[in-house]
Amino acid sequence: MSLLVIAPLLVAVTTAVCTLALGRRPRLQRAASVGGAVGYVASVSVAVWALVLGPAAPGAAVYQVGDWPAPFGITLVLDGLSAFMLTMAAGVGIASILFSVRYVSRENQRVYYHPLFHMLLVGVTGAFLTGDLFNLFVWFEVMLIASYVFVAFYGTDHATAASFRYLVMNVFGSALMLVAVGGLYAATGTLNMADMARRLATPDAYGIDPAPVVGLSALLLAVFALKAGLVPFQFWVPGAYTAAPAPITAMFAGVTKKVGIYAIVRCYFTVFATASVPVDLPGLTAASPLGFLAPVLGAMGVASIAVGGFGAVGRDRLESVFAYSSVGQVGFIAVPVAIAAAADPAGAFRGVAIAAALVFALHHALAKGLLFLAAAAVEDATKTGRLRHLGGLAGHSPVLSGAVFVGLLSLIGLPPLTGFFGKFLAFDAAVRGIASNPGPSSALALVALLVGAVLTILYATRVWTSGFWGRETAAVEVASADSGQVAVLVALAAAVVLVGVGFDPVYRFAETAATAALDSEAYVDVVGLNGGDRA
Amino acid sequence: MSAALAVAVGGLFAVGTFLLLQRDLVRVVFGIAVVSQATFVYLIAMGGIEEGTGDLVPVLDTHGGAVPEIADPVVQALVLTAIVISFGTTALALVLSYRAYEENESMDVTEWSR
Amino acid sequence: MTTTIMRTTARVTVPVVLVVAISLFLQGHNLPGGGFIGGVLTAAAFVLIYVAYDLDYLESGVLGREVEHGTSVFEQRTVTAYRRILLAGLVVVLASGFGGMLIGDPFLTQGYVHLEGVPIYREVELASALLFDLGVYLVVVGSVLTIVSVVSAE
Repeated sequence: MSLLVIAPLLVAVTTAVCTLALGRRPRLQRAASVGGAVGYVASVSVAVWALVLGPAAPGAAVYQVGDWPAPFGITLVLDGLSAFMLTMAAGVGIASILFSVRYVSRENQRVYYHPLFHMLLVGVTGAFLTGDLFNLFVWFEVMLIASYVFVAFYGTDHATAASFRYLVMNVFGSALMLVAVGGLYAATGTLNMADMARRLATPDAYGIDPAPVVGLSALLLAVFALKAGLVPFQFWVPGAYTAAPAPITAMFAGVTKKVGIYAIVRCYFTVFATASVPVDLPGLTAASPLGFLAPVLGAMGVASIAVGGFGAVGRDRLESVFAYSSVGQVGFIAVPVAIAAAADPAGAFRGVAIAAALVFALHHALAKGLLFLAAAAVEDATKTGRLRHLGGLAGHSPVLSGAVFVGLLSLIGLPPLTGFFGKFLAFDAAVRGIASNPGPSSALALVALLVGAVLTILYATRVWTSGFWGRETAAVEVASADSGQVAVLVALAAAVVLVGVGFDPVYRFAETAATAALDSEAYVDVVGLNGGDRA
Repeated sequence: MSAALAVAVGGLFAVGTFLLLQRDLVRVVFGIAVVSQATFVYLIAMGGIEEGTGDLVPVLDTHGGAVPEIADPVVQALVLTAIVISFGTTALALVLSYRAYEENESMDVTEWSR
Repeated sequence: MTTTIMRTTARVTVPVVLVVAISLFLQGHNLPGGGFIGGVLTAAAFVLIYVAYDLDYLESGVLGREVEHGTSVFEQRTVTAYRRILLAGLVVVLASGFGGMLIGDPFLTQGYVHLEGVPIYREVELASALLFDLGVYLVVVGSVLTIVSVVSAE
């Protein structure tokens, strides 16, 4: 039991209340908000180092809120997977809030911008930390309610319509999630994820029938895919991403989407993987819910890559290009996860594929965060986000363009940037998937990745050539980029380069995370349920 | 009793989904409320609706010793939490639908320009 | 809606609703009730006043103050007061969560004491959960009344 586990959550929630209280003093409010974000990064780093990565770290730790023992109370667990996601959230979060202070107008910041930002962070942190299925639903809602308001933040016709659509879709998603959670409770008799994993592993010892778990987990998959914006649940993505303030869009793409991916990995690989339930559908037989996950998530990922790639190629606005691109990139994360689900449970390959997905998620968080912020900086400087009105930015503001260049190259996957390793590992997983599981579906995954990579090159080149090369247009000639915004972009670009150059420790971190995701027994141990006594 | 609950859950989901698919903004908001209610009824049903004996209530069955004659408290806590959340969401949806109506000058979702 | 029937009904029911709300709030930590439901009932009582009289009645009729017109609804004194209640509630909730940590318990740990020999009641149970509930109560009252007054002013 360590206080460090809950520290990031407490820092974020305290900052949210403080910034709300300081609403009448804008300067102090901004300072508190940035200070809170710095505190968040500090608490995450200390917690991750002391509990997961450091030399004397136990590898994982647990916090029982309110001193209620698991499985009755709410359990927070910080293990490798949570630590990886939290680190990502902290990185994108601090960049996003620093950019916000320089980008969002003072008048708009005074309204509920800062409290809501930190509530978004609270929701994300809670979702990464919680070890309780219903609690996961609650953190999703915290995150979503902040997101609804952010999408409607500017109050234009476009923003309110996008927010309303986003809300309706997610309310239905939440209803489905409640149905799944309630059903799992009735089927297994518990909501604690560790307890559920333990019970599903030995259903006879607890007198439960794990048969409904396959269907209920499929329901959960739909909800998580909605959060991650995977095809066919991607409809809210372009509208919401273009309507929300740009720093928040960076948070959406970099962090809240990853919550959906995290939930899929956590629920399926840590919890449901322990169940041995025969899945017998037409054309699909497997021994555990993962057998169901592999083809469905794989199909979703492949479709996302196609829809996102082709969508991004045709867009004119920078933000729209990146919004569609982000649909496609989530597909790149989903495909390795699906390959991992299809892999042999005992082999080491499953962990490699999960690590590939995590590295890609990190790459996407950094690169897409950078690009969304850069799109906002460009729009702020030139007063237009349309590619046809842009041109020659590379000569006009070289530093800003340099940051964008790094982001685009990372998206394409050029070594030694982070994106290269993301793509390389995804392809590696796909090729190994064909080797271990030959068949048309594995080949399709590889082909989809190839097509996706080509499409990425296509739209990245298009953005660069039409927006940054060529003769300076009228909008660009009068443009002046804000130095504070550019500084944040340069810092993010440096992070993209540095993570790529010093990739070894990052990969070991991802491996730790993948191992933690797959090791259900360790998870149960950490939560403290293997002591033998049932109460 | 469980048949009645099943019918209620099914009916509520049907009505809610029907309302969510309407063009009129207010009906969509009603749909949000009804769908949430449907999940509450469903959650309560998941805890077992007969007198709480050991084999009906999972948490009592396998965790404790003697089983008191009470309903499953966990589902009630879940429903309470879900009600609070859906209360907030519905309030937000109402305000948002009003704003969306003001900005887009139409209650009909299909007439929105974007 | 400001008919005589409505006003008379409101006069009778509002105090009853408020008393029920407070009793629900006080017993909420171990009986049906609690901060949320108490807060919603309290807000409902205020909404009844708004419906039976009008939006300015709380300021002009009850508090006997001049109502400032022409400002944005967010600047009105009642609305600022509601927002302060909301904020106070959040602070109380957080503080009650941190309170347990001061004596080394995990976040949100609750406890209770039985006080005996109290006049009239003889025995009173004091639960720290009541403090948390108070926070919830204030948050609910503050947020619901802010929403209602801002939306109805539109």
